[in-house]
Amino acid sequence: MYPAVIESYVAPKTVQEALGALAAALAAHGDDAHFIAGGQSLMQAIKSRLVTPKCLVDLQHVAELKGVRSDADGLRIGAMTRYREIATAEPLTGAYEALRDAASHVGDRQVRNRGTIGGSLCWNYLAACMPAACIGVGASVELLDSKGKRRTLLAEEFLGGPLETERQPDEILLAVLLPRAAAKTGSAYKKWGLVTDALPVVGVSAWVELGADGRCRRARLAVGGLASGPRRATAGEERMTGLARSDADGIGAAADAAAAATDVQSDMWADQSYRKTLIAALAREVIALAFTRAG
Amino acid sequence: MNKTVSITINGEAYEESVPIRLLLVDFIRDVCGLTGTHVACTYEGVCGACTVHLDGEAVKACLMLAVQADGHAVTTIEGLARDGNLHPLQKSFNDHHALQCGFCTAGILMNAAEFLKVNRHPTEDEIRAALVGNLCRCTGYAHIVDAIKDAAGRSA
Repeated sequence: MYPAVIESYVAPKTVQEALGALAAALAAHGDDAHFIAGGQSLMQAIKSRLVTPKCLVDLQHVAELKGVRSDADGLRIGAMTRYREIATAEPLTGAYEALRDAASHVGDRQVRNRGTIGGSLCWNYLAACMPAACIGVGASVELLDSKGKRRTLLAEEFLGGPLETERQPDEILLAVLLPRAAAKTGSAYKKWGLVTDALPVVGVSAWVELGADGRCRRARLAVGGLASGPRRATAGEERMTGLARSDADGIGAAADAAAAATDVQSDMWADQSYRKTLIAALAREVIALAFTRAG
Repeated sequence: MNKTVSITINGEAYEESVPIRLLLVDFIRDVCGLTGTHVACTYEGVCGACTVHLDGEAVKACLMLAVQADGHAVTTIEGLARDGNLHPLQKSFNDHHALQCGFCTAGILMNAAEFLKVNRHPTEDEIRAALVGNLCRCTGYAHIVDAIKDAAGRSA
């Protein structure tokens, strides 16, 4: 476990400088130029030589990529915002609390002191928490390329299979965007793994928006830890609509439907039927908690 | 390829030309000669023995390059005691026999020192959750948890 030779390293201060540095590095080194955010996943990959960058463009000094802000459209989480900050961010209670749930149990407190939401999304590791949590709350991502072209994609469009995203080589992830939520909205994320807070076997995120009658009028459910990448569980969402907090049987049926309809793999941590059992059990918990948080 | 870095460690400025691939933990140990920061898991990022403070926050020094610490202030276990006085955690670890072989201790002390700044009155569950990133293969953690709880009381 030690990095191969790295030829150059730059630490730009602005997004423009970062895009310029990456474009120059891509021209010089081809695919072997990388942005590095908190590095808590990428450094592992660099040390194991899964990734052997010739050039690293470190985003740690790009202030405009940091922090949680509120604007006319909703909330904006800068790509370089760390788990440490997301775990306790006041604006993320209620509708977006799934992000706090996920961030507060990533790895350990040393990792949360450096790891970032943008890094996690761009890496899109199979069992990572932020991808499933972001899809679960209906987040979008904002990207900018070196020619100044800006685009916004839903997290579920951006995130592909494990280690795959729609980010083009010359693009930077600027922020995670959260639409303004209706008054009675709540979300929750929970994971299950063999080691406390480590990369889980399965993670499930639920989001509900309640009408005046206290019944769910819009629902989202997402699952992580899948060989096909993080996915929405629309079969579960359909059954969540119309439910009330007190309808435990209905919540159970939605959770079971989500598990039944999700394509899962067997591996050394969990076979297919156990994975489905885990998805159903976690879905039940997070749907109930999302209802409670919706108020 | 090399790059010159300026890193302040325990208040002392180090300016060195280092390979870009050099990990921060090796800069601390091999370049600066501060061997109190340990490597227990061959740089796999899982044991926490190399935990140091980067601008006051606990981080694993094997999970970053020395060049990423350029311009930053690092505190290692050698910098935890001030003016010859042990940190309350160091006293408490001694009193509670919270170490056996001691290999993990420096990392645990650095993590716990920052944890107690963030959470001055932690519960036992919070202390245990804070220790997730540090492996100890001797103690079973019970005395470590006791020592951290006691130190929190003392510095409060």
